[in-house]
Amino acid sequence: MSEAGTQAPSEAPQQIAPMRHEFQFTGTGGEFFGIWIVNLALTVVTLGIYSAWATVRTRRYFRGNTLLDGHSFEYHASPVRILVGRLIALGLLIGYNVSVSFSIYALIVWVPIFFAAFPWLITSSLRFNARNTSYRNVRFNFVGTYGGAFKAYVLWPLAGIFTLGLLVPLARRAADYYYVNHHTFGGRPFETKFTAWQIYAIFLIGFAIAVIMAIIGAVFFGGVLVAAMPHGSAGGQMAPAMVPTFILLVALAEMAFIGLALAIATMVFNLVVAHTVLDGKHELGAALSPVTVPWIMITNILLTLITLGIFYPWAQVRIARYRIEHLSLTAKGSLDDFTSEAFGTQSAVGEEIAGFFDLDFGL
Amino acid sequence: MPVQGRYFFPRSTRFAAARASATAGGGLRIEDEAGTVLADVSRKDISVSPRLGNLARRLGFSDGSHFETTDNDGVDELTRALRLRVAGNVLHMLERSWRWALASVAVAILASYLFIVFGIPAVAKTLADRTPASVTAVISRQTLDFLDRTITGPTKLSAAEQTRALGLFRNVARHAPRGEHGYALKFRDGGPIGANAFALPDGTIVMTDQIWKLTRNDEEVEGVFGHEMSHVNHAHGLQSIYQASMIPAVIALITGDISQVSQMATVLPGVLVESSYARGFEQQADDDSAKLMLSMGAKPSHLADLLERLEAADCGKGGCAQGWLGSHPDTDVRAAKLRAETPK
Repeated sequence: MSEAGTQAPSEAPQQIAPMRHEFQFTGTGGEFFGIWIVNLALTVVTLGIYSAWATVRTRRYFRGNTLLDGHSFEYHASPVRILVGRLIALGLLIGYNVSVSFSIYALIVWVPIFFAAFPWLITSSLRFNARNTSYRNVRFNFVGTYGGAFKAYVLWPLAGIFTLGLLVPLARRAADYYYVNHHTFGGRPFETKFTAWQIYAIFLIGFAIAVIMAIIGAVFFGGVLVAAMPHGSAGGQMAPAMVPTFILLVALAEMAFIGLALAIATMVFNLVVAHTVLDGKHELGAALSPVTVPWIMITNILLTLITLGIFYPWAQVRIARYRIEHLSLTAKGSLDDFTSEAFGTQSAVGEEIAGFFDLDFGL
Repeated sequence: MPVQGRYFFPRSTRFAAARASATAGGGLRIEDEAGTVLADVSRKDISVSPRLGNLARRLGFSDGSHFETTDNDGVDELTRALRLRVAGNVLHMLERSWRWALASVAVAILASYLFIVFGIPAVAKTLADRTPASVTAVISRQTLDFLDRTITGPTKLSAAEQTRALGLFRNVARHAPRGEHGYALKFRDGGPIGANAFALPDGTIVMTDQIWKLTRNDEEVEGVFGHEMSHVNHAHGLQSIYQASMIPAVIALITGDISQVSQMATVLPGVLVESSYARGFEQQADDDSAKLMLSMGAKPSHLADLLERLEAADCGKGGCAQGWLGSHPDTDVRAAKLRAETPK
């Protein structure tokens, strides 16, 4: 078409020095508050119909404020299609709730349906979101299959359970492989690869910390419990004055374990992303702190509760900013030569239904 | 005034710094910085992304190319000049204004309130009234089966006690809306739930041995029966099922995301809403029972006596156990109301 932006007659195109680009996030809590509160009000007033538009605006806001090398990501999903899926899913959810409260045996019907549908929902949902996301005019895609999702999200977790957790790290790796290795950008693949030892190391560290926490907790709690019990009474009741202290301790313990789970998830995220390569040459990087992420998440929950929900938009922006600004891409070669695939005309029935369930994974 | 931005070539990450302007013919022209025309687009081939925050705007063209700019006001001017329809400008205006944000808070709170106080109960009542008797029979049978396998045991009351209770029950039923054959009484050992009575949707009323033992006269027993029969008459059990099914669905729909933060923040409100519905039902059952007792010449204050004794039995030093009072409103309030309805 034109000369603008095309590569110069190359002497040695592969000799371009690698360029490291940091991801940036430009959204602000105040701006998102306005969007969120209007979304909420219109959703309530329209008895939920607007929620599909609200979802699209929210996703556009977060993707659109994510910048890489000065270009933003974009989200293109049609609210009407999300609404259709959402209404079907809502019907299923109410049907499930009503039938299960009528008769617990309804689970015999629902559980197999759920297991059979789960891989399909995940695949459709990932495809829907990938295809509706673009960067620099080129769309992402997700090419995972039902069988692959069944293995990664049903069989592997079952293997993890039946081995009493021994295979959980491998199950986690299978899910991450399925997620990353079936995403493409302009038809070029993302690929991540790391050794079993690397992921086992993370889970072992997590397990060791959990054991230490449990020991500290047992010593500490034990002391408190002994202090709380009336002396000499076997199976006696706890002194009423100790009840609030006890509840506080349980809440703290719970928070500590949620924090640990988040820390492990963060380390795994770093591992997966740092080994991801686009088109065999452009390297992704992630350097999220396994201390900072749990801190942000837990304080977000507390602040949201304390402010009766008003803090929610700031919480969302806060965690998004931290995560996004600790990602990078090291481009080896030009990013100018990606082109969109043609997939605009395929049937979208599955995507419409799955759109609701919003099984947002990873990021 | 041309708008400065970037032109992306069809279906490609390749781009050029460019400017867009409306042509005299009513189309859009994209030129690069040197003035070379990159694209001439007719207005019907343009789709403009709605304005949102400070996001870059995108003018998408039907050949898979697009023009992108952060000059939002410039784009709005351009679309006016081209008479292009852009969705969402009103939304953007709402989202940017603090006055509208405050109004939105008010609207959201008011509408949620109306929906929770009137909407959900009305829908649940409509559904409960239209649930076929065959379904209520199945639910009731299964609930009782489930309780028998997990919580309650066979009654230990003597045949004489059972006969006396059944006589009282039939007498109360004759004064109740469904009549003598509209209700059935079953005896069970309460096990962990202790002194308790509950109504199943098909009219079956279960009384535990423990609550029978706690009563001191016939009128107290009649008060309990009247209370449970009221639950049957208004299909409170079915209504609770429908309400409980709707609350999570409504929350999922409103928040639109199922993230950890929103989940943790919405569990508590869900529980609070459910228990407030339950309190409403209990109050209604108390009121009905009082009326029924009066129509039989009994004194509602007897039910008040029993309530207080129940509370004393359920509540030890360490707090109240989950008994007949668990989901019920404050005993003091209920007892006072029942006594107020008792003629001196």
